[in-house]
Amino acid sequence: MNVLSCSINTLNGLYDISGVEVGQHFYWKIGGFQVHAQVLITSWVVIVILLGSAIVAVRNPQTIPTAGQNFFEYVLEFIRDISKTQIGEEYGPWVPFIGTMFLFIFVSNWSGALLPWKIIQLPQGELAAPTNDINTTVALALLTSVAYFYAGFSKKGLGYFGKYIQPTPILLPINILEDFTKPLSLSFRLFGNILADELVVVVLVSLVPLVVPIPVMFLGLFTSGIQALIFATLAAAYIGESMEGHH
Amino acid sequence: MATVIMASSKLLIRQSPPTPSLSTITNKSNNKLQVTLPKFTKTHLIALSSTTFKSLSLLTAASFTFAPPLLAEEIEKAALFDFNLTLPIIMVEFLILMVALDKIWFTPLGKFMDERDAAIREKLSSVKDTSEEVKQLEEQAAAVMRAARAEISAALNKMKKETQAEVEQKLAEGRKKVEAELQEALANLEKQKEETIQSLDSQIAALSDEIVKKVLPIQ
Repeated sequence: MNVLSCSINTLNGLYDISGVEVGQHFYWKIGGFQVHAQVLITSWVVIVILLGSAIVAVRNPQTIPTAGQNFFEYVLEFIRDISKTQIGEEYGPWVPFIGTMFLFIFVSNWSGALLPWKIIQLPQGELAAPTNDINTTVALALLTSVAYFYAGFSKKGLGYFGKYIQPTPILLPINILEDFTKPLSLSFRLFGNILADELVVVVLVSLVPLVVPIPVMFLGLFTSGIQALIFATLAAAYIGESMEGHH
Repeated sequence: MATVIMASSKLLIRQSPPTPSLSTITNKSNNKLQVTLPKFTKTHLIALSSTTFKSLSLLTAASFTFAPPLLAEEIEKAALFDFNLTLPIIMVEFLILMVALDKIWFTPLGKFMDERDAAIREKLSSVKDTSEEVKQLEEQAAAVMRAARAEISAALNKMKKETQAEVEQKLAEGRKKVEAELQEALANLEKQKEETIQSLDSQIAALSDEIVKKVLPIQ
């Protein structure tokens, strides 16, 4: 009984300061289905940021690039480099997928850390990075699965199934299992990292509002970038793996 | 601490009767929870009376994993792993974003960069060609220099020869002159010698006569 009162008091106090909200969603109803409005709103903002900056910077390409164009060229080179190292010579058609994957996750993660979402009050839940909702990460991971299946089929037709009994048919169950673990690990890695990062920052801010959370925030920015890179690199690696020849 | 919170909230929720409606975290359930509270001590009441609607849902969310099956439905709305229509919508958004980014960024800028690369490479190779031209020109220059040097040395040789010939000619002339003079002087000398000898001859006769006269007494 003592423990109970203690914990409730502590929790209450903590809650009043920090306003930590886990698993709270702001619901909209679309045709009888529920959606997480906060995720959609932030994802729209992310998409607008990406498209807007791209339109402004790439509208009128110069032979000697301006600062903005230079940055976008650098990003494109970076994405091409990732695709090329993971997929190989036939990376061309996959650049948009890998690039959008990287940019969407990266801008989403950083928007969660850098944009002052808290200014906008929602009736329930709160605005945060779209990637800290399991729906987003699973959606991206499933798209990756579809992408590598498509890559394999378009390259090798039904011969793609041959890879399930490589190198020996004994590994068939493990190979099938892999198709489930890949999207699972992709989505949960991203979700867990971003959610944990935001929670750590929020809790630290609630405990010590000054100075102390700053290194953690920088660590969060770093982790966010790394997670985006990991997701894109793994997606490219899976696509490359399903396209490579098994002899 | 987390486990303590979980345990405590679990206790709380187990004592509360399950609410009938699916839209759980309404004021209704809040009231019901508070109704059950008098079973606890006074401190709990104070604590919970200040609890907001949000913190209650937080508690229920935290206890979700340990909650009995009946409560699962009730807490559905405040879950971390809540899949719904958001997932396909994000997928569609992603695909649209992919096509749009490809159209306005990846393809045009990529094409532009490739073209620029090709142009730069072409220019570089053309610069390499001109370097060959430069080499040719250098060779030409070297040839011209060689020719000029040969010409100069030829002219020098010629001049040397000419001057030498002139010098030799003059030398020969001088020598001839000297020889002629020498010859003349020698001839003169010879003549004088003969004259002297002749004059001596006539004297010899007279002298020998005298000698004879002197040596041989006059008989």
